[in-house]
Amino acid sequence: MKRLIVGENITKAFGAGVEKRKVLDGISVEINAGEFVAVMGPSGSGKSTLLFALSGMDKVDSGYITFDGVDLSRLSDNALADIRRRKMGFVFQQPTLLKSLNLLDNIMLPAMRDSGEKAAQLAAKARVLMQRTDILELEKRDVTQASGGQLQRVGICRALMNDPQIIFGDEPTGALNSTAASEIMALLSEIHRTGTTILLVTHDVKVAAQTERVLYLFDGKIAGEYRPGLANLHHDDLKAHEEGLTAWLTEMRF
Amino acid sequence: MYFRTIRNDILRSKAITLTTMLFITTAAMLVALAVILVVNLTGAIDTLMTRAQTPHFMQMHAGALDMTRLTTFAGKHKDVADFQVMEFLNMDGAQIVFPGGSLAGSVQDNGFSVQSEHFDFLLDLDGNIIQAADGELYVPISYMQDDTTSIGDRVEVAGKALVVTGFLRDSQMNSLLSSSKRFLVSHNDFAALKDSGSMEYLIEFRLHDLDALGTFETAYAAAELEAAGPTLTYPLFKMINAISDGMMIALLLLVSLLIVAIAFLCIRFTLLAKIEDEYREIGAMKAIGLRVSDIKQIYLAKYAALAAAGSVLGLALSFVFRNALLANIWLHMGESANAAQAPLLGGLGVLLLFGGVLVYVNGVLEQFRRISPAEAIRFGIVQGKTGGIHHFNLSQNRLLGVNVFLGAKDVLTRKRLYVTMLTVLVLAAFISILPQNLYTTIASKDFSTYMGIGDSDLRIDLQQMNNIAVKATDIAQALENDKDISRYVVLTTYTFRVRMPDGTQRRIPVELGDHTVFPVAYAAGRAPTAADEIALSVLHANELGRQVGDSLILLVGGQEQQFTVCGLYSDVTNGGKTAKAAFSDATADIVWSVISAELVDETRVDEKAAEYATKFAFAKVTGIEGYIVQTFGSTIRAVAQAARVASVVAVLITILITVLFMRMLIVKDRYSIAVMKIFGFTNTDIKMQYLSRAVFVLLIGVSLGTLLANTLGETLVGAAISFFGAASFKFTINPFFAYLLSPLLMAGAVLVATGGGTLDAGQIIITGIIKE
Repeated sequence: MKRLIVGENITKAFGAGVEKRKVLDGISVEINAGEFVAVMGPSGSGKSTLLFALSGMDKVDSGYITFDGVDLSRLSDNALADIRRRKMGFVFQQPTLLKSLNLLDNIMLPAMRDSGEKAAQLAAKARVLMQRTDILELEKRDVTQASGGQLQRVGICRALMNDPQIIFGDEPTGALNSTAASEIMALLSEIHRTGTTILLVTHDVKVAAQTERVLYLFDGKIAGEYRPGLANLHHDDLKAHEEGLTAWLTEMRF
Repeated sequence: MYFRTIRNDILRSKAITLTTMLFITTAAMLVALAVILVVNLTGAIDTLMTRAQTPHFMQMHAGALDMTRLTTFAGKHKDVADFQVMEFLNMDGAQIVFPGGSLAGSVQDNGFSVQSEHFDFLLDLDGNIIQAADGELYVPISYMQDDTTSIGDRVEVAGKALVVTGFLRDSQMNSLLSSSKRFLVSHNDFAALKDSGSMEYLIEFRLHDLDALGTFETAYAAAELEAAGPTLTYPLFKMINAISDGMMIALLLLVSLLIVAIAFLCIRFTLLAKIEDEYREIGAMKAIGLRVSDIKQIYLAKYAALAAAGSVLGLALSFVFRNALLANIWLHMGESANAAQAPLLGGLGVLLLFGGVLVYVNGVLEQFRRISPAEAIRFGIVQGKTGGIHHFNLSQNRLLGVNVFLGAKDVLTRKRLYVTMLTVLVLAAFISILPQNLYTTIASKDFSTYMGIGDSDLRIDLQQMNNIAVKATDIAQALENDKDISRYVVLTTYTFRVRMPDGTQRRIPVELGDHTVFPVAYAAGRAPTAADEIALSVLHANELGRQVGDSLILLVGGQEQQFTVCGLYSDVTNGGKTAKAAFSDATADIVWSVISAELVDETRVDEKAAEYATKFAFAKVTGIEGYIVQTFGSTIRAVAQAARVASVVAVLITILITVLFMRMLIVKDRYSIAVMKIFGFTNTDIKMQYLSRAVFVLLIGVSLGTLLANTLGETLVGAAISFFGAASFKFTINPFFAYLLSPLLMAGAVLVATGGGTLDAGQIIITGIIKE
């Protein structure tokens, strides 16, 4: 299987002097193309920092990260931006949308930067995505006129606009109620089934149980790895995976 | 608690705090200076005119004088407190030779006097009445100011040697705007010079009560006493004394108003940004039961401290600069009797400014009342602010690049925020263009049409002399035979009596001749062509209560004759009260004659002026441009200098405010920037978006500022000039500066400032901001 992201011996610290704290402490990790991976761990264990480092959004102190064979540490700010725009998509806990644009424009925004397609064609593509995520009727609404779940769907549509190789999710369901969270996970699973790699950070066992592989971070290191095994899950299987994962997590914590 | 809040806040936003304080300080300094100057100017004028005992009414008269008749009139009139007739010996400038050259080129009517016995005293620079000894010459203060001469210089007056012993203040003729200047000599020297010039009489009256001036003027006219010359009154002397420094004060006040406006804009922008930043906190404070007035106090405290510091500093600076600005007033008029009150009143002015800042901040903070605690806590941002631009969408955009679109969209979405920068740009464009327009207008030859004279090349004045009519005919004959002259006209001013609505009579100067040859600017109607038509200067028409089409009765050749007012025109000369007509009357008293001529080749003006000055030594010959330069030269130079300074100030203000605005925007927008960076927008993209915003605001601001400067500015300047008698004022716009250079300067300033201010726009830690 093709290795999409490779992180080797990554370290990252915040603060200085006596206040200095290592958040990533020599982590090595591989994410294969087409995988659906979850990163779990207690608060402050470095989950989000790892996600930001692997996506090239944050520089690491030592070690190296390659994306699709390209060493991210050697790239300029603008080159990193180009990779994020063309090959990656992002979904965060809070909907990171621009207030000045309506929902359709927010979705189109990354594709508008260097697309040869005309605005109308991009709008059509954005509408297809909105239709797929069941929010088409919201296209002309402002950011303040949609619910949290709806905004998260907008975020997913935006992440998909440039047909990315990978979607990074930082607690994408963290601010949603259980129904909305289930719907978002169902959507991500569907996207994954089309071949898109997904790497997400989560606290939620239910969410992690729907992925193929779970990395457990503790004190800046990968403390363990869990593989539920199956990609296409039925409800009963999911229940079983949740129980297995919970047992494994309990083991990891103690 | 307030102290800690203020300190923290100032430390967090040093640049904007310093700039706001800089503007408040400058505004306080200018307000204090303006007040100090007003107090000193009014006080100094009063002191000078009281010490000199300026006449309440003065009739200049060239020609024979019946002293007995005048004395009888003065003795019989109950309002007259004192009366005198002073001799004023007009001398051709060429006959007054200083070590540096003669006064031949001077447009002033230079003349000699002895010290008065009763009133209208000429004073030395200590305010004492001068007593000139034989051989001593006291020179008008304006010749000291322009370095024409200095004490100890040997001066030749009509061949007689005199020594400059001192300089004098003349409460009537100090100002450059007054066309005559009095030199003071002893009785013996005056007697020796008497045959070298032409005598003019100053018939002067002091009244018991200045309120009776109107009645007295009417009585003097009715008595048909000597009146071959202009009539001047105490209020006019006062106004002429106040004009030069008054204009400076007006300019100071105007600039301080603009600076106050910019200071207020800085405050507004900072406050709006802060309220938006702390929207959730303000909502929380309201939610836990703090009253709006309590919350306001926290914000008000910072601005109270800032305004207090700026006001104190501004007042202190005004004390540093006041002497330099008061120098001109002190030189021309001496110390003011109420100078001690000036700093106190200046302080009061600054206190008002301080209060104004607090009231303004308080007004801006009223927005707190509109904040819903529930919404603020829930959303943390102001809701529903797209401001009706739903149709301007990326999905429908076909013309603009995405960065340009986002820049424009941001400006349209957050109009309230950008209004600050827009207003600064409008003001800056206004400040840059208006003084330049004023300069090109008063420096242009067409400006002569506002001076009561038409657009000719050469002007020949015959004033204060005998046989004016004969001399004018001689000159006209010479012009007629001169093939270098394409056309000319003789306009002679006579005094006529006009019947007032209340039945009384008043003397007015009426210029007779063909007024269509070199027409002046008419505010309404046209030049008189028929014998029963008359055109009035705007000030005159206002005083007489006449409009175009009204009738006016003049006494011509002893008979009442009805005239129709055919036009109203601008005139800033002779106190602005003149009239023009086309009839002729050989019996009336000639006051002066002006001959205007146009050359076939206008580049030969200097040559022809010199030729006619030599041929007709008794006349004053000047090229129109030279006439304007000499009359308004110092004003033109001052306005040119002010225009240059204004352009530099406008550019500096633009740069300063744009940099600050962009810095604050970037801090405010760090979340949006982070979002865009996550989705692959580069630093160059982000900078392009800010440049687009700046260019968008710039285009509107500069267009609006240029438009306002050329329209509203024209109205404002026109209103100011109408005070001196001009109407229908039109700017002479220099299109290269107004429509090209100034906008380019502003654009350059905005682009450089935006580039500088957004240099590190993209250099943000995305993860830190997204996690916030």
